[in-house]
Amino acid sequence: MAESGPAIACRGVWKSYRIYHQRSHTLKEKILSRRNLYEDFWALRGIDLEVHRGTTMGIIGTNGSGKSTLLKTMARILTPNRGSLEVHGRMSPLLELGTGFHPELTGRENVYLGSSLLGQSRKQVDARYDEIVDFAGIESFMDSPVKNYSSGMYARLAFAVAISVDPEILLVDEVLSVGDEGFQVRCHQRMAELRENGATVVVVSHSLATVRALCSQVAWIDAGTVRCVGPAGEVVGNYLDSVHEGLLPTEAANGDTDRTGGRALTGAACVLDVSVRTVHGQPATSIHTGDAITISILATAPEALHDVSCGIAIHRGDDSTLVFGQNTHEADCPVVIDGDTRIEFAIHHLPLRPGAHTLTVALHDHRVNTIYDWHDKRYALLVRSDSGRTGAGAVHIDGDWRVAPATPVQAASA
Amino acid sequence: MAPAVGTGRWLAAGRELLAARELTLNLVRRDLKVRHRGTFLGMLWSLTTPLLIVGLYYFIFTFILRTSPAVDHPRPDGQNVPFAVYFFCGLTLWNLFANSVGASTDSVVGAAYLLHKVYFPRAILPMATVGSATVTFAFELSVLVVITTLTVGLPSLHILWVPLIVVIVVVLAFGLSLLLSAVTVFLRDVSHFVGVAMQLWFWGTPIIYSLQYVGDRGAFIKLLQLNPMTGCVVAFRNVVLLNRAPDYRLLAYDAVAAVIALGAGAWVFGRWQKVFSEVV
Repeated sequence: MAESGPAIACRGVWKSYRIYHQRSHTLKEKILSRRNLYEDFWALRGIDLEVHRGTTMGIIGTNGSGKSTLLKTMARILTPNRGSLEVHGRMSPLLELGTGFHPELTGRENVYLGSSLLGQSRKQVDARYDEIVDFAGIESFMDSPVKNYSSGMYARLAFAVAISVDPEILLVDEVLSVGDEGFQVRCHQRMAELRENGATVVVVSHSLATVRALCSQVAWIDAGTVRCVGPAGEVVGNYLDSVHEGLLPTEAANGDTDRTGGRALTGAACVLDVSVRTVHGQPATSIHTGDAITISILATAPEALHDVSCGIAIHRGDDSTLVFGQNTHEADCPVVIDGDTRIEFAIHHLPLRPGAHTLTVALHDHRVNTIYDWHDKRYALLVRSDSGRTGAGAVHIDGDWRVAPATPVQAASA
Repeated sequence: MAPAVGTGRWLAAGRELLAARELTLNLVRRDLKVRHRGTFLGMLWSLTTPLLIVGLYYFIFTFILRTSPAVDHPRPDGQNVPFAVYFFCGLTLWNLFANSVGASTDSVVGAAYLLHKVYFPRAILPMATVGSATVTFAFELSVLVVITTLTVGLPSLHILWVPLIVVIVVVLAFGLSLLLSAVTVFLRDVSHFVGVAMQLWFWGTPIIYSLQYVGDRGAFIKLLQLNPMTGCVVAFRNVVLLNRAPDYRLLAYDAVAAVIALGAGAWVFGRWQKVFSEVV
């Protein structure tokens, strides 16, 4: 194994999931339903990423951006459809606590079973066994089945096993951050130890603070592609900067298929990028009520798509009240997506009052039967309050106040 | 992980399996422990069950069915073999095969929680089920040898063939297990089908009867001999019970059949294992 070169190298990795409308498992179903109704959903769209030996790389991105899929692909749990993955070194994936623990087995037996699933040899576990028991603090229970453990004891043991691993490459999902503060501190200490010993660590996390504290390098994954990769401060900064463009992928969005009425997405067209721009085409750095802005959507389709309509919806950030929604079909604006296509919605006087709003962007057919892509409340639209306008409510209704002495009716008739 | 081709790929797969032997042993250990955990006799059940079965067969065939000793060939020393022992001998080897194949359908599907969370060479899952069936077989074999010694006398040097016969059965069982565990991922019906098929296969193997019992119906014997378990069971009885050499020709056929089964199983498993974690 050469000392130089990356520990993990993803080269043009594409990964799709089949979303089955109805999965047939038995022979009868397979014969009766002529075909399996499924559609491909591309979670990774050509990832090129190298993790160099000895670095700690954080992977950030919104839910549904593909970062967990990327981690699982690195862990070889998922096999890419296209592209290749190279891994040099012994790897331990920590995607959950207590992987492979069996309730009927004793604590001691589970320590050995769990560790060997994480790629540890018996010798390595022997050497660390006392440390594991010590950390878990349940010496007297090591010979009872874990099904009799309290959930706290179980978590402590599972955690002790997880941090005892001594791999050359460690993959960590944010599930590890569920523990209490003591766990977190110990977890970070252990990662620092591994780093000092020259191990390569990849961490997926939502917590930008964690990522900034732990990682030297950060990759920002967006819609299945690497949006940006580099030193942690810089990339996290870029990620945060999208706030100032008025658009921040919201962290609370619950994946792509949410709010699509159970209709799975097809890959016939997808939204690549959404930005808010000024009339001059510059990214809008701050947005105020009454501004002229343009919501610019970059969409793409592998083949020319005619039965397509692009819709946007703006919801209030606090209570999700729908403020506005319209699609190109309703607006009699014909759309054809053929290759990369830019669709823009120009707002002459933004009527939104200051506050947080979310923006939904969707691509679907004219009758909204087939959803091509649906970014539900994925973008935050922050309208700033320093506009000098006053009043209350969801929207600013442009109008003029007039005051004049009322002409008495009696006076006129008198 | 460079894409290897041809024999290189098979070698790489073999090396990977070898590297994961500790995990495989841990999974076998888990299987056995979980099976006996909470029982009073624990691992002793592995000895007790075969002993009880022999006792039962002995009772049935001595007092109820009163079957006369029926053997493939007489022992060279003319010693009679009780039918219960004769039957138990074939059954022991059959159980190794049937337990391996029967448990294999669930081996990958039942490990979904592992497939989603960690990578390991997937083939160790059916390998572990075959492994735990082999450990159980070792217990039954020791009981068989003791009982044979008590009822018909000490085994001859021919018993040294046992390891080879066991290897053939294990390879055959592992090949089928690879195939069935992979197919079950996509078609859950397989586990039901296997239950019925193993019943049929049991009766298509001379376990409760001998090939001699079939008589001079040559075509029928030929058909039975197509079953790769036939040669193994007959050879196993020859070397353990009857102090005779195995039928080399039949055993060689079984060995070839086992290798073909392993090749076919490994091919199918290798092609499909990439998507196991997404489908199960």
